[in-house]
Amino acid sequence: MTRPAAVTGGVLLVLGLAVFLWKAVGLGMPVLPTDPLGLWQVELEINARGSGGRGSLRAALPSSDLSQTIFDERSVSDGLLFSIRSAGGQRTGVWSGTFSRTHQVLYTFRVQLAQTTVLLPKGAGQPPPPALRRDFGGPTAEFPTGAGEILARLDWLSLPPAEEAAARVAALYSFVADEVATEPNAGDDVLLTLSQREGSALGKARLLVTMLRAAGFPSRLASGLQLRDGLAPVQRVWAEAWLDGAWVPMSPSDAFFATRPQDLLLLREGGDVLVEATGVEAELHRFHALRERLRPEELATLMVPTNPLLAKVSLYRLPVPTQGALRILLVLPIGVLVTALYRNVIGIQTFGTFLPVLIALALRGTTLGRGLTMIAFVIVLGVIGRLALERLRLLLVPRLAILLCVVVLTVTGLALTGRALVERDLYAGVLFPMVILTGLIERFSIAMAEVGLREALLKAANSTLIAVTVYPLFISETLQHVMFTYPELVISIMGLLVWIGGYTGYRISDLRRFRTFAGAASGAR
Amino acid sequence: MIWRDLRFAGVLGINSRNSSYTLRWNRRALYPHVDDKLVTKQLCVAAGIPIPRLLAVARTHFELRELRGILETLDSFVLKPARGALGNGIVVVLERQGERWLRSGGRLLGIEDLLYHAAGVISGLYALAGQPDVAMVEERLELHPDLHRVSFEGVPDCRVIVFRGIPVMSMIRLPTHRSAGRANLHQGAIGAGIDLGSGRTVHAILHDAPVRLHPDTEEPVVGVQVPQFDRILEIAVRATDQSGLGYLGADIVVDARYGPVVLELNARPGLSIQAANRAGLVPRLDAVNAQWRPGLGVAERVALGRAIALANPPCEARS
Repeated sequence: MTRPAAVTGGVLLVLGLAVFLWKAVGLGMPVLPTDPLGLWQVELEINARGSGGRGSLRAALPSSDLSQTIFDERSVSDGLLFSIRSAGGQRTGVWSGTFSRTHQVLYTFRVQLAQTTVLLPKGAGQPPPPALRRDFGGPTAEFPTGAGEILARLDWLSLPPAEEAAARVAALYSFVADEVATEPNAGDDVLLTLSQREGSALGKARLLVTMLRAAGFPSRLASGLQLRDGLAPVQRVWAEAWLDGAWVPMSPSDAFFATRPQDLLLLREGGDVLVEATGVEAELHRFHALRERLRPEELATLMVPTNPLLAKVSLYRLPVPTQGALRILLVLPIGVLVTALYRNVIGIQTFGTFLPVLIALALRGTTLGRGLTMIAFVIVLGVIGRLALERLRLLLVPRLAILLCVVVLTVTGLALTGRALVERDLYAGVLFPMVILTGLIERFSIAMAEVGLREALLKAANSTLIAVTVYPLFISETLQHVMFTYPELVISIMGLLVWIGGYTGYRISDLRRFRTFAGAASGAR
Repeated sequence: MIWRDLRFAGVLGINSRNSSYTLRWNRRALYPHVDDKLVTKQLCVAAGIPIPRLLAVARTHFELRELRGILETLDSFVLKPARGALGNGIVVVLERQGERWLRSGGRLLGIEDLLYHAAGVISGLYALAGQPDVAMVEERLELHPDLHRVSFEGVPDCRVIVFRGIPVMSMIRLPTHRSAGRANLHQGAIGAGIDLGSGRTVHAILHDAPVRLHPDTEEPVVGVQVPQFDRILEIAVRATDQSGLGYLGADIVVDARYGPVVLELNARPGLSIQAANRAGLVPRLDAVNAQWRPGLGVAERVALGRAIALANPPCEARS
């Protein structure tokens, strides 16, 4: 290595590390995950299919309150227009546009949950404002407060007097929670639930709301998710009664009263529907939740750094979609660093310089097994295609184009027979990998013509090997977190690349290739 | 261990070749002089350096009609891309058998096969960077009788590494059945290192491993006298002068009729020549850098290269 290269590499490496250390040690920014309690990352995934018509998806979005702090929201809109509407404290995410295919919408946020208990008033408490009475007190089709059965039941319960508001609410809660069985498959109609003495969680919540309203307490449904580590979140619905200036949560099916459990996330107040769709043919949504490994105040130091210069350049304050893209982009330098090591230090031959890294990116969107199957398929197709098309004596470009058509037809066939390929995002699962595989099939076909099947297979295997090595780095949340928090590390990676570029020593492949020199040093003595 | 052995022998690694020699001594702008065989031919003809005769050129698919007419009058020839890499895309036709031609390796080809191959060449299938290329047809060279016993189904060629106009190392590449008559080491040809002073082979490898006998003819490949080796070194040096490149591999074939002719020049010559010689390039290249003087004539430079090679001989074989 020349002196200037060694020095340049060293300066870059130290520069990146210095900024990193200044931020991590000097400013106390977190480097590694710290595993806080009650902090979650939640993702709503909506898949909606349409055939060219305009439509929209609406999802209840969480708001911050005493029990939950929402932050770091981001959305992947998949070609749709995304906006957030706010009405009466409830936020609704709207994705609208033309649905000509299966669109996948992702809405992700972080939430710090805390168990909270609402202090119940000793006496009657302040009376509810008229607006609340109007909106959450009256009868509706959903909550038939005027029905004879409801009124009769209230009479029969002989509630405590109006001065003991909390006791009245508790008595109503106890009745629905204890006297009505929870049966997931039972109906959710209020009067049926009451007469059958059993109902679904929704039926019981509706019954409680109806009885609370009939007893003079403004009340409403609330719904959200029960978050579970390592498992899919469960949708929950409960009731809220307005008492002395606060909404008191209570669930007659999950047995909590005036206390919101730490694993419960509130998404919607005033209803039980979390996601609605219009103008689409089919809609399927699910929630994912992951325990977060970094404390919110640590996240805050990253989002609003104390240093004024850093505050201006904090990636955590960029628009949410940009952040999502950068999280992936900033791991790429590590991928190319690995590729440079493989090629210039080990000496492995691959297709193209960065095709392996692109393959790894494509694997990120497909999952490893399916991605490798696709690569194997393309290579087998390349071999068969060459054998079959050789007799026709076609020119290179049309021949490659024909192979690509066969790939497209096969993907189409797979999509028709099994839904495995398009189950997830069509773009991430099929289109992006297709672009990469197109590159692979071209390189592979040319290599077969140029250097023969054996060498071409070897190169394909090497390219796949590098891709599989890089893949875990690309899906590592920790690595993404570190690179996103400390993008200056890219400068250090550049320093390492200068060193690799200036490395004039032997490659591992040289050692193998010149094995005939083995013993040269000792033989001379 | 092997690491230390390589350092001791002064073996040039690929990283070092790229940074210290090809990047340092070969100006990018001069690459077409050697990457395009038609340009190389023009340079050699202008300087009176012998080359195989050019019989036909097809630059476009349209010119394939014309090529058909010329090929049909020929008995033996070589069809190759002007900018091919690693000897890919070269078809050697030995003789005519009725309506078809016998290709080296034993396959019979019809005129359509040949034109299809030429079309692939023009499309850039074998070009270094996949760019459109030119198909050229050359006179087929004839195997020199002295080399008959160490060649199989093809014509051997001599690779001479010339650094700053001074020949530093040489090997002869002997085709085998495995290499289908081609003289490329990675395709299974034998590489036999040549002592620059005597023109005799001193060591040989097949697929990076030492070898003593030709696998097809079962004749010894070490101790073979390369015919007209002085002339080989001379035209290698002269062709390098024409190219303007500082670090170069010249490929020279000794034809039975014309003697040594320049087949092609290579701006990124492979490193296996060191294994073929069991000698490292580094000490010789360092010696060239130390002893190089401007204005040396061709004969003086050949003599200097021989002296440097003599001072930096192959490693002792392991006992």
